[in-house]
Amino acid sequence: MASVHESLYFNPMMTNGVVHANIFGIKDWVTPYKISVLALLYEMIHAEPMALLERRRLNKLILPLQQGPDLSLKQFLMVVELCCPETSFELRCRLSQMADGELKDMEHFFSTLPNPFSDSEVCKTSVVGLFVRHMLLAYNKLSFSQVFKLYKSLQQYYNKDRWPSPSAGPQPELPSSVNEDMELTGAEDTSVNRADGMDREEPDAGPLHHSELCGHDTTGPLSQKQAEYFFARQAYLLKNDENKAMTPAILQNELNNILKFNPDFAEAHYLSYLNSMRVQDIYIATHSLLHYFDRLILSVGEGKSNGDEGYGRSLRYAILNLATLHCRFGHYQQADLALQEAIRIAQESNDHVCLQHCLSWLYTVERMRGSDSLVLTEDSVKMASHFALPYLASLGIQSLVQQGATQGVTANKLLDAMRSTDMVHWKQSLSELIEISLAQTTSIWRMYGKSTMAWQQAQLLLNMNSLEPVNFGVQQNNTEAFAVALCHLAELHAEQGLYGAVSDIMTHLKQQFPPHTQHAKLWMLCDLKIQFERAMNDGKYHLAEPHITAIAALNTTEGLYRKALLLKALNQTSEASKILQRLQHLCEKKKSTEMIIRVLLATAELHWDSCGFATALPLLLQALTLSRQHNLQSLASETVLHLAFTQLMLGTPEPALALLEDVLESILAHGSFMDKGRALLLMARCQVALAGCAAEEDRLAALEEAVETLHEATFYFSRLDCNERLRDVYYLQARLHHALGHSAQRNKFAMLFRLLDQELPLSGATVMTHI
Amino acid sequence: MAALSTEFGDLVQIKKQLISIISQCRERGLVHSVKWASELAFALDPLPVNEHPPPPDLTEEDAEDFDALCLAKSYFDLKEYDRAAYFLRGCRSKKAYFLYMYSRYLSGEKKKDDETVDSLGPLEKGQVRNEALRELRVELSKKHNAGELDGFALYLYGVVLRKLDLLKEAVDIFVAATHALPLHWGAWLELCNLVTNIEMLKSLSLPECWVRDFFLAQMYTELQMITEALQKYQSLIEAGFSKSTYIISQIAVAYHNIRDIDQALALFNELREQDPFRIENMDTFSNLLYVRSMKPELSYLAHNLVEIDKYRVETCCVIGNYYSLRAQHEKAALYFQRALKLNPRCLGAWTLMGHEYMEMKNTSAAIQAYRHAIEVNKRDYRAWYGLGQTYEILKMPFYSLYYYRKAHHLRPNDSRMLVALGECYEKLNQHVEAKKCYWRAYSVGDVERMALLKLAKLHEQLHESDDAAQYYIIYIKDIFSCGEQLEHAEVGTALRYLGYYYFKKGMYDESSFCAQRCCDYNDARDAGKALLMQISAMREQGDASPQEMSTPGVFTPLSNNAATPIRRVSPLDLSSVTP
Repeated sequence: MASVHESLYFNPMMTNGVVHANIFGIKDWVTPYKISVLALLYEMIHAEPMALLERRRLNKLILPLQQGPDLSLKQFLMVVELCCPETSFELRCRLSQMADGELKDMEHFFSTLPNPFSDSEVCKTSVVGLFVRHMLLAYNKLSFSQVFKLYKSLQQYYNKDRWPSPSAGPQPELPSSVNEDMELTGAEDTSVNRADGMDREEPDAGPLHHSELCGHDTTGPLSQKQAEYFFARQAYLLKNDENKAMTPAILQNELNNILKFNPDFAEAHYLSYLNSMRVQDIYIATHSLLHYFDRLILSVGEGKSNGDEGYGRSLRYAILNLATLHCRFGHYQQADLALQEAIRIAQESNDHVCLQHCLSWLYTVERMRGSDSLVLTEDSVKMASHFALPYLASLGIQSLVQQGATQGVTANKLLDAMRSTDMVHWKQSLSELIEISLAQTTSIWRMYGKSTMAWQQAQLLLNMNSLEPVNFGVQQNNTEAFAVALCHLAELHAEQGLYGAVSDIMTHLKQQFPPHTQHAKLWMLCDLKIQFERAMNDGKYHLAEPHITAIAALNTTEGLYRKALLLKALNQTSEASKILQRLQHLCEKKKSTEMIIRVLLATAELHWDSCGFATALPLLLQALTLSRQHNLQSLASETVLHLAFTQLMLGTPEPALALLEDVLESILAHGSFMDKGRALLLMARCQVALAGCAAEEDRLAALEEAVETLHEATFYFSRLDCNERLRDVYYLQARLHHALGHSAQRNKFAMLFRLLDQELPLSGATVMTHI
Repeated sequence: MAALSTEFGDLVQIKKQLISIISQCRERGLVHSVKWASELAFALDPLPVNEHPPPPDLTEEDAEDFDALCLAKSYFDLKEYDRAAYFLRGCRSKKAYFLYMYSRYLSGEKKKDDETVDSLGPLEKGQVRNEALRELRVELSKKHNAGELDGFALYLYGVVLRKLDLLKEAVDIFVAATHALPLHWGAWLELCNLVTNIEMLKSLSLPECWVRDFFLAQMYTELQMITEALQKYQSLIEAGFSKSTYIISQIAVAYHNIRDIDQALALFNELREQDPFRIENMDTFSNLLYVRSMKPELSYLAHNLVEIDKYRVETCCVIGNYYSLRAQHEKAALYFQRALKLNPRCLGAWTLMGHEYMEMKNTSAAIQAYRHAIEVNKRDYRAWYGLGQTYEILKMPFYSLYYYRKAHHLRPNDSRMLVALGECYEKLNQHVEAKKCYWRAYSVGDVERMALLKLAKLHEQLHESDDAAQYYIIYIKDIFSCGEQLEHAEVGTALRYLGYYYFKKGMYDESSFCAQRCCDYNDARDAGKALLMQISAMREQGDASPQEMSTPGVFTPLSNNAATPIRRVSPLDLSSVTP
């Protein structure tokens, strides 16, 4: 019946309702692996003098072996052998002597260990001495049955990874159950593997450092240290390089396993929280988070002398963490309530650091909600620097910079702020913030339309070595900053028509940030945008259409804008104008200046289609003011292009040309190929228009000049496969050559034009109502 | 119910079945099933001598194994499981095979329990396992595939699977076990522990047998579907099991679960009369006595149980409750700890210990105790509720919302969780949610009768006087209709508010009635008197006012207001509640 079968796990370590994980205050417990390490130390003490190099290698090995997680015997011996083969051999002999012998052999071994009261080579207070004393103490505390159990587990440990025995000792019989196990695993489903995983041989024998715990073969229960190492590593990977961490399902499985064996590992719950955040599972995430803090409250309460303080502290952070959880899931109202509570508790207990954290989350929530949080952020920065919290302070500054950039704060101020925080970052080696700062600078330069600077910053970030201690010197992390920089790089390449490079970058991004990971949306959007642009340039509107839905799913405003562009290209002007109006409304609410300018430009283009050049002018001027105000150089030059075109169409080519010459320099320096081509084409047209009213000899020279300009434009357009514009260029060139009387050239371009014209669908609009 | 009555028609047949299963289970050492069946059999009329079922025929195999079986059974009874298994290893009969496997299983369990005490360190704590399980599983699965397992062996196979955490397979095997041997209560009980929701219960194909009704009743109790469970038990009683102590105790527990304290108390008293040395379920009984603050009864029960057996979990819980009622919380916690040492999986004790720590303001220990309770049983709503309370005491209402929500999820129709949720929302200034919670708490049947008062006060705070008055009226009606006297009832407060409300509306008759009623309550007496004086003063002026209609008076707008039909609240009808 039920009560008979209940697993009656009696917990001897419970007093006063609180489980003390460590009743004797001893952190180390004797395990077979520890015995092996002791044997190694013993060998090192008693062996004949060995070569200096080998001794040095072994000495260097001692500390990691002592403090690292338990290794299997095979791995352990291999590590030792790499340092000194002879010692490894001796060690194996000694262990086999113990494991194949009797209980007394192990007892004898412990009695021969350097005793703290006798004079020996081992200094009592050295690391080794302390370790040996710890072990002896722990061993002496064991009861008879525990000693016997230890011996049994030593035998198991030895037999599990049986090294091809050199001592040719009698091979102990395998227990019959092992055979049956093998049969079972063959016949039955995989769930059995978990159940009998304890005794299963671990197949891998990789190198020491990254092997056993990153691998997925940790079936057996982990020891405390192993588990801690596992948690630390997985959590680090989740933060910095999600791709290398275990997949969510496997990790969750692993955690459940660990928790089953030892429900007191509070950290496992936290890792489970992080893991479920990856897959956006709010249910498990909340559950794990709260469970973690319930557990933490206990362990902190007992661990510290100032118990009450630690306990209250974890309470404050518990509620703060809950707030962040809601914030990440977009439940801003909930997050707000939780934050208020956290702030109240922190205020009551005068915890300024916690308050600071609350404040920085408060402005984050405010900003995510779309309200203005400038004042809060400034306060936060001030307070954080007052309390000497550099991380929070520079995080605040970065967020201020971001807000400032969208609100048109002058560039020098922004870059100044960035530089001063960068100094703090490098001083404190806050590598995470350094990465963010570089990515942010890239974004800012790109927003300002300085492609070369953006390029340089992105390269700087990508070529930076990691500063994290865990994988120091490894070239790259996979944080959000890297994703952002890579996306910028891809877009920059696309602008230069280097589609091969773009696809390379995209493959890399896909590898590093698989679609299920957190930052995958970044490159998805970027990829879609590039494809859309290509399809539009190529005039393949049917290809562009499906991208719009995908873009809209990732970013609604962007999707709307692209839809308007497509409709405009398909000559569905009224629909396009409706969408643009809506979009403008939306953007004004959101204060996204860049999009507003783009929308204004698109609307102006719509006016051109209906020959309303004069009506387009005020729109363009508005766009120009806005872009100048916000230092958006590339958009400003694009606006000027539009203005020049309008003037040309209004029949005033001279001011148009003057305008063009003003911006041509910056376009040629920073602009995309598309802009360059368009600028040159427009210039040629202005030149032709001006030539019309000039004197005869000037006219010919001007026409020659226009031909040259067009030739250059051809280069840019052909790189972008922009056939529609190429056709216009060829047509113009043919006409010009005709006017100049170069019939061979004329025929050539006429033919090129004809080829393209056959290929392309008939464009309904009269030629040249666009730039 | 038609099927039930036909099946239960032949009580003699049932009795015979019970007698035979009792002897079968006893031969196999399944003591708890024997106990259950015997209790039921005892509740039925005794059979005449010629009706007694003859002992089952011995097969040849049984005869061969007879001596070994006798020897092994004696060792088994003395808890020498390895020895029993050793002498049974060559036997071929099914009975001997079951006993052989069962001894091996129990030997593993016993060793596991012993090992736990001297494990090598904390990291091994959770690793101690019954080493015999895997071998047993291999052997049993081979036999199972060959179709050689009888009902008892299937049951054992299921238990082994459950211990290996192969729950899905275990459910299938237990269902098969109930089909093979429907009378074996142990298999049903194991199944009951594995079924987690009603959908799962419905999807099982269970054998048509009278035991199934017992199982369903137990299952409904587990799943908190108390009305269904009570119905089932009632029909079982009608079918002829009226004397069964088992059923009486189950009904009492069911009543306890729906907080019908009087019924439950009556049943427990009856139970104690019939079975005075019973210890099972007495912890539940003590909970009821505790809730009713019946100190002498609880003290008597505690003394009585200590005399019977002081080292039982139930006894410790009763004593814990006793001390808790006497506000000696340290001692109470000590006894709950003792209960947990006796059986760490005893869920109630963890929760109760949490309550004690709460009383002692040791919040961190309370949180730990509640967490342990949840670990043992995720569906323990009291532990979730307790956690919520703890955090509320720590002034973290938002944080406790999650726990209250969990508790509410487990007991959707329990008003206490709803009231707690409402209070949290109120603290967070989420008035809409708070109102919803209070109203819902009232709608599902408010046990503490606090929801309406809180709702009314909330409206009062928000200056929504019409709503507040309306809810106060419902509250007063509710309090008087339930008849019993409640300590914390705030009828005075309600009446005072209503008095002033009507006064402001200019409805002096109602107002003075309320004010007079106010004088019946200590806390509102002064206010009532003051109001009466104000009313009389106002009436004097009011009598004069018709003549002074032309002159602008301060109170004219008030009287106008009273005449307008905008008021939603009907005049208070308290004629029925006059004591």
